[in-house]
Amino acid sequence: MNIVVFIKQVPDTDDVKWTENNNIDRTNTESILNPADRQALETALNLKQRYGAFVSAVSMGPYKSLEILKEAIALGVDDALLLSDSKFIGSDTCATSKVLAACIKEKFLNTNLILFGQSALDGETAQTGPSTAVRLSFPFINNVCEIKEINENNIIVISENESEKITYKVKLPAVLCINNSVYGYSIPKIEGYIRAHDYNYKIYNISELRLKEEETGVKGSPTYVSKVYKHNEYRNCRFINTDELLNKIKEVY
Amino acid sequence: MESDGILIYGELTSEYNVKTVVKQILTKACSLKEKLENCSIKVCLIGNRRHYDELINELGVYGADEVIITNDDRLENYDKNYYPEIFYQIAQKYRPQIILLGSTAQGKEIAAYCASKFNTGLTADCTNLDIAENNRLLSTRPTFGGQLTADILCKTLPQMATVQENIFKDKRIEHNAFARFEWINIDEIERKIEITDIIKKISEKKDITTSDIVISGGLGACKDNGFELINKFAQKINAAVSGSREAFEKGYITKAQQVGQTGKTISPKLYIAVGISGANQHIAGIKNSGKIIAINKDENAPIFKYADYGLKGDLFKILDELIRQYNTEKEEKQ
Ligand SMILES: Cc1cc2nc3c(=O)[nH]c(=O)nc-3n(C[C@H](O)[C@H](O)[C@H](O)COP(=O)(O)OP(=O)(O)OC[C@H]3O[C@@H](n4cnc5c(N)ncnc54)[C@H](O)[C@@H]3O)c2cc1C
Ligand SMILES: Nc1ncnc2c1ncn2[C@@H]1O[C@H](COP(=O)(O)O)[C@@H](O)[C@H]1O
Repeated sequence: MNIVVFIKQVPDTDDVKWTENNNIDRTNTESILNPADRQALETALNLKQRYGAFVSAVSMGPYKSLEILKEAIALGVDDALLLSDSKFIGSDTCATSKVLAACIKEKFLNTNLILFGQSALDGETAQTGPSTAVRLSFPFINNVCEIKEINENNIIVISENESEKITYKVKLPAVLCINNSVYGYSIPKIEGYIRAHDYNYKIYNISELRLKEEETGVKGSPTYVSKVYKHNEYRNCRFINTDELLNKIKEVY
Repeated sequence: MESDGILIYGELTSEYNVKTVVKQILTKACSLKEKLENCSIKVCLIGNRRHYDELINELGVYGADEVIITNDDRLENYDKNYYPEIFYQIAQKYRPQIILLGSTAQGKEIAAYCASKFNTGLTADCTNLDIAENNRLLSTRPTFGGQLTADILCKTLPQMATVQENIFKDKRIEHNAFARFEWINIDEIERKIEITDIIKKISEKKDITTSDIVISGGLGACKDNGFELINKFAQKINAAVSGSREAFEKGYITKAQQVGQTGKTISPKLYIAVGISGANQHIAGIKNSGKIIAINKDENAPIFKYADYGLKGDLFKILDELIRQYNTEKEEKQ
């Protein structure tokens, strides 16, 4: 069984530093492996343990993203590769999903299962996985928390939303977007770190994925950000006592 | 063909009522329509229902001009294999300028499917929609973990966006919708996904999205009898109980009770935040509330900046006091 896990490096939004002009200070804000993608990696590694599988981690981004691919190798994935090209810069979800789908078509023809994180901390669109799936004509399931069983043709997964837990039987190859998985956090072993350090990471550019320039990056992105601002939702707080609080409640009813 | 109008996915509840978020999107669509020339608002209903009259009326009341109905015996319930493709075929046929869906499990799936098929942009979880220059849809959404807001435009058509429930307010207007039935041939779709089991999670908790008053606990209340006091007071004043992500992670509330960017968006008449610091991601879920009251011992807690009223002090003492005063008032009345 071949499994591909797409992972992304994101700024740690819990630890944002600001510049004097109220912009995000990207050089001083820590970068981390997107938390949901870590869950996707754990899910893949759990499958590898249960059934035996060849797990590849793939990231699209600048060379700095090699940091999270190292983390993936240290955790125990078999192969890790980076999709990197200056022409990818500025890709929105639509353009990103084209690159990721091209990567599957060109490099992972025999993939049975593709895992994504449910959503990325910086964008939180939760669309990259489903969009990639549609481009590949693979079925997809969102919010997956557990994999019950997998065989040559099908996978049985549990997807959880706030009101239901639904079990699906899905034809392979399939795309799963992993939310909080039940597989916990494993800790890399020393050998993992050594392997990660010495590993020969493959890097593919736009021509190796046989994409055209106008399909990705800014040119291939239908959406663009016209303005970004820090919002101000401040209200004028007046301090009150418990009597007044009870009165405010009475005003509602 | 020229593209025109706004197309909305008419998501229904399991009891076949129009979902609240659809009504809210309709009201917003009415304000967008005013800024566009010759714009009609269409709602697409997918299903297998015999009686559509009520639904068509209801959609009309909230501003739909046309209701497009696709009917098929196989469409009784939401089906991942069919619904996205059917909605896509409808969208292809009517060529709307703008497609709007709720950010629900169904809405997100259908939106991602259509956007990829159309090769167009999709802005998820918008907090506002407007019309910019050249009749373009301007979608506003939080970014960077809720710390920033971004205005997003789309170069291609259709322009697509999803919206969470309770971001917009719905409004009834005097309006009649016109119904149109469409027969879509869906024979050829291969069923790749099957449901084998559904477990409903039962919650006896009061719904935080519909309550007039919501009391919310944060990490400050996650010790001793903090949430006990919150629940007790909530019951007395008939309020729903919610909490921050910290409260969810500590196990004091369920995911359905979490408020914020990764939880629910609510807009009660009164929101009372107890032991909550007021992180951006939390504020994202409550900023449309009528009045906000914050109870916190730290006078520099950001929550006070977002609040209309504040009580500075120990939440345990304040809750005790509130419950005691409430009881005394009740007794005096009797
Ligand atoms: C991508 C992302 C998404 C997120 N989504 C959400 C979300 O949807 N919802 C959400 O809530 N958070 C979310 N968060 C987390 C958010 O950033 C904050 O960490 C969280 O809201 C803090 O919760 P809190 O206010 O309960 O805890 P804290 O920040 O720890 O605040 C506790 C407060 O309690 C006060 N306090 C303590 N003891 C007492 C006492 N005895 N009496 C009175 N006051 C007391 C303290 O002064 C403090 O202000 C998200 C974060 C990220 C990165
Ligand atoms: N540049 C990228 N490289 C690899 N995977 C990505 C990239 N962008 C998004 N993803 C995957 O798509 C998921 C959802 O991202 P998003 O749609 O941005 O919320 C992430 O959790 C990743 O698994």
